[in-house]
Amino acid sequence: MNKADIKPNGMAAEMSNGQNPILAIFYCQNIPGGDEGSRQELESHYGESIRLFPIPCGGRLEPLHLLKALETFADAAFVIACPEGACRYFEGNRRAKKRVERTQAIIESIGLEKERLGILLGSREKPKTLSRWVKELSEQTSRLGVSKGRRL
Amino acid sequence: MITAEQKPIDEIREMINPYKRILAVGCGSCVAECAAGGQKETAMLASALRMAARMNHEDVTIDEKTLDRQCVRDFVIQLDDVIQNYDALLSLACGAGVQAVAEMFPEIPVIPALNTEFLGETRDQGLWIESCQGCGDCMLYFFGGICPISRCSKQLLNGPCGGSKNGVCEVDPEVPCAWQMIIDRLARFNALGRLEMIYPPKDWAKKQGKGPRKIIREDQQS
Repeated sequence: MNKADIKPNGMAAEMSNGQNPILAIFYCQNIPGGDEGSRQELESHYGESIRLFPIPCGGRLEPLHLLKALETFADAAFVIACPEGACRYFEGNRRAKKRVERTQAIIESIGLEKERLGILLGSREKPKTLSRWVKELSEQTSRLGVSKGRRL
Repeated sequence: MITAEQKPIDEIREMINPYKRILAVGCGSCVAECAAGGQKETAMLASALRMAARMNHEDVTIDEKTLDRQCVRDFVIQLDDVIQNYDALLSLACGAGVQAVAEMFPEIPVIPALNTEFLGETRDQGLWIESCQGCGDCMLYFFGGICPISRCSKQLLNGPCGGSKNGVCEVDPEVPCAWQMIIDRLARFNALGRLEMIYPPKDWAKKQGKGPRKIIREDQQS
C-alpha cells in the first residue's frame, strides 16, 4: 500500500464517536491493493471512521448488504469493483452496478440522499489502489455528514 | 408460479402508519422465486422501513420472519409463538398468502406489501412472463402447449389473426406471436390437424361468476 495515500487524511481520531460520519466500503479483492494486509493497515489508520468489507467479486454484493450497513452503522456505503470488461468472473461488476442503482432507488424512496450509496469501477489505464479510493471516499463521506437513517 | 411486485414504500408506510409493533412476514415460495417477498426481500423492506421510521422520529419496532409458505396453514401456524408481540403483520406474500394469514389470525391486521400480478414462469434471470390464466379448462393440448388466452395479445382461440410479422405480434413487437409458435410446434409433432376444429368461446363460468373456486380431493384429506 502506498502510505502517501493515507497520510494526509488523518480523520480517524475525529470520527471515532457516533456523531461523526462512518463509511462502509465493500470492495472486490481483485482490485489493486485489495489484499488483507492493506485492509488491516487502512482500518488501523482510519479507526472507527471506516469499515472495509472484502468480497470475492463485485457480483457477490447484495442490496441488503448496503441497506444493513446504512441502517446499522454507516453514513455512506460504497462498492469498489473492477473496471468495465475486466471482471475476473465476467459480469460481477456489471451486476453490482445494477444492485447499487436499485438500492439507491430504495433509499431515495424513503427520503435518504442517494449520494450516500455508490459504486466505483476502476480504470484500466489509471488504476487506483484501495487506499486511494478510501481516502477519496472518506472525504466525500465527511462532506455528506451523519445520516438521519443510521442507528446512533 | 404466482408472481408479484412490491408496492411503493410510501403506500406501505401509509398502511402501517397506525401501528407501532410490526412483523414483516416473508414467504419462501413463489414470491421468493420472483424476488418480491422472500427472506432477502423481506429483510430489505424491513430495513428500509426501519430507516424511514428513524428519519421521521417514529417510535416503531419492525421485525421480520419468513415462512416457507403463507398459503399453507401448517406453515402459518409458526406465527403462533410470536404474534402476541405485534399489533400488525406486513405480509410479503401473494394475495392468497395474505388472506390465509388474516384468516388464521383474525385478531390482528394483516397488511399486503405486494401487488400480486400473474401466473407465470421464470424465463431468465430477472424476467417473468405470464403464461396461465387459471381458466379452469386447460386447452394446452389443442394448441401445442402454448396458451393463446395468455400469450396471444388478442386472446384468439381460432388464430392466427394475420397481423404478425416475422413471428412477432403486431400489437407489441417485443411479444412473439403465440399463433406462430402454436403452428410451429404442432407442425413439429404432425398435429396441425388439431387446428381444423373451430374452437367455441371459452366457458368462463369455470373461472369466475360463482365466488371463490375450490378444489376438494378426498384422497388428500385426513
